[in-house]
Amino acid sequence: MNKTGFLHDERYQLHLTSDYHPEVPERLTCVYRGIQEAGLLSSLIHIEASRADMKWIELVHDGRYIQRFEAACLSGKRMFDSPDNQLCYDTYETALLAAGGILDAVGRVMEGELDNAFCAVRPPGHHAEVARAMGFCYFNNVAIAARYLQNQWGIQRVGIVDFDVHHGNGTQHIFEQDPTVYYYSIHEHPSFAYPGTGREFEYGKNSGHGYTQNSTVLPGQGDDEYKRLIEKDLIPAFEKFKPEVILVSVGFDAHIDDDMSDIKLSTEGFSWIMQRIVALGRQLSKGRIISVLEGGYSLKRLPELAANHVKILLNGKI
Amino acid sequence: MFVSRSMTREVITVDPEKTVFEAQELMADNRIRHLPVIDANRQLIGIVTDRDIRSAIPYNFIKDSCSAEQREAICALTVKDIMTVDPISVSPTYTIQDALLMIQNSKVGALPVVGDDGKLSGILSVRDLLRAFINVLGIGEPGTLLCILVEEKVGQLKKIVDAITEENISFGSVLVARYWDENKRAVFTYLLTQNVSRVKKKLISLGFTLLDPMEWYLDQLPKNELPPESTE
Repeated sequence: MNKTGFLHDERYQLHLTSDYHPEVPERLTCVYRGIQEAGLLSSLIHIEASRADMKWIELVHDGRYIQRFEAACLSGKRMFDSPDNQLCYDTYETALLAAGGILDAVGRVMEGELDNAFCAVRPPGHHAEVARAMGFCYFNNVAIAARYLQNQWGIQRVGIVDFDVHHGNGTQHIFEQDPTVYYYSIHEHPSFAYPGTGREFEYGKNSGHGYTQNSTVLPGQGDDEYKRLIEKDLIPAFEKFKPEVILVSVGFDAHIDDDMSDIKLSTEGFSWIMQRIVALGRQLSKGRIISVLEGGYSLKRLPELAANHVKILLNGKI
Repeated sequence: MFVSRSMTREVITVDPEKTVFEAQELMADNRIRHLPVIDANRQLIGIVTDRDIRSAIPYNFIKDSCSAEQREAICALTVKDIMTVDPISVSPTYTIQDALLMIQNSKVGALPVVGDDGKLSGILSVRDLLRAFINVLGIGEPGTLLCILVEEKVGQLKKIVDAITEENISFGSVLVARYWDENKRAVFTYLLTQNVSRVKKKLISLGFTLLDPMEWYLDQLPKNELPPESTE
C-alpha cells in the first residue's frame, strides 16, 4: 500500500459562490464523506491547509492581478472578471490556502514522506490565466505546483494530465511555450463545451511546440472513447517525455450523471483512467503523483468517485 | 458589418511593369496569394494571383529543359502580361454579406476594395472574411454551445432569450438553422459562461427540447457524406 496524502481542510469551504452556482462548498463535504464511508481515512496521511508563500503564486500570476483579486474580495465584491467567478470576502484567503496546501503535499512527496497525494481543494484552478479569473478559477493551482517543483526541487520535466471535462485553458496557456512542462488534456470537444479552446490542432508554441496535447471527446461519448484516446495520445507522449513527477487535474464532471457536460463516463470509466495514470507514474515517475481537484458537480456521485480515486492512489487499483 | 471594417488596409501591391518572378517573390515574402496591380495614381488596373503566376511559368522552365529563347521570353514576362484586367472589386461601403455572396458566386479568393475615386483602399480576402465570421460566432471568447429545438412559431426565440437573460448570462451568438422537421427550427446559442446546468433545466421546464448536437449534425448530412464509422 502506498503512503498517500489527503489534503482536506474545512477552510476550503469558506469560499462562497451565490445561489444556483454549481461550485459549492458541499462538493468537498461529499468528497470527504465518500472517503470516510469507504473506510479509507485511517490509511491516509492527513494534510492541513497552509497559506502559500506569495513568491510561488508570482511565478505564475501577474502581480497586479493578484492585488486586484485580493482587493475584489476585501472590498466586498461578489463577482470578479466574469459572472462565472463569484466570490466572497474569504475567497482570496481560501485560494491562497488551496495553493499552499498543494505545495505542502508536493514537498512531502518530494521528500519521500508520501508516495502520492490527493488534494481536495476549492476554488479550482485550471481555467485561471496569468492575469484573468475564468470558469470558477482564480489561482492556477496545478501550474503553481509545477513551477514550485522546478524552482524548489530542481525537477526538469513535469507532466500534467487534465481529465476535467473542460479544457484547462489556463494551464495550457501558461506552459504552451515551455518544453519542460508537458500538458495533456482530454475533454469534451471545444465546439460544444466551455471554454472553447483545447482543439486537437493546438500543440504548443515556439520551443514548447510538441509539449501540449489535446484529446477531444464528442458529446455522447464515454468510457470507450476515453480509453482509446488515452492509449493513443497520452501514453506514448508521456513515455517519450518521461516526466519526473505527474500532476493530475482531476475533474469528475465528465460523469454521465453530472449535468455540466454531455459526456457519459461511468464511475468505472473514471477508475480506469486513474489506474492508467497511476501505472504510468510507477513506470516513469517513481510513483510521484499529486492529484488536484478541479470540477465535478454531481453531489450524488462525488462520494464514490472520490473514494475510488483515493483507493487507486493507495493500491494502484480498486 | 461593412467591408471597410474587415478589410486589410495595408495592401501590398505590384507595379504592372515588374516581372512575373518579382511578383512571385513579393507574394512568397509576404505569404499572400493576391497582388492588386495599380498605376502611378493608385488606380486599380488589375490583379495577379499565385495561380496566374504558376500558369505563366511552364513546367519545363522549372526543370531547366527549355530552349534559351523560351527562357528569355518567360523571363521577360511582366505582371501586365498575365494579370486579370479590371477585376471584380467592391466598395468599402459594401457589407460583409455582399462580399460573402460575391466571393461565392465569382469563385475568387480576394476582392480589391476601391473607393469612389477609383483608388485602391484595401483588400478583402477569404481570410479576412473568416476572421469576421469567427467574430460573429463569438467563439473567440470562452463559452458553451446549447442546441435548442423549437416549434416554428412567433415568439419562441424571445422566450429563449428571456430565459437566458434572466440567468444573467451573456450571449456570444445566436444562430437559427433549419431542422429536418420543417415545422421546427434548431437554435444554437453560444453562451459566455461555463455555468449552464441551471439554464438547461430551465429551458426544458419551459417545454423546449435540448438537442443532442451529435444527432443534429449527422441527421443533416446527406447519407453519402457521413463520416466513416470508427473501426477502433
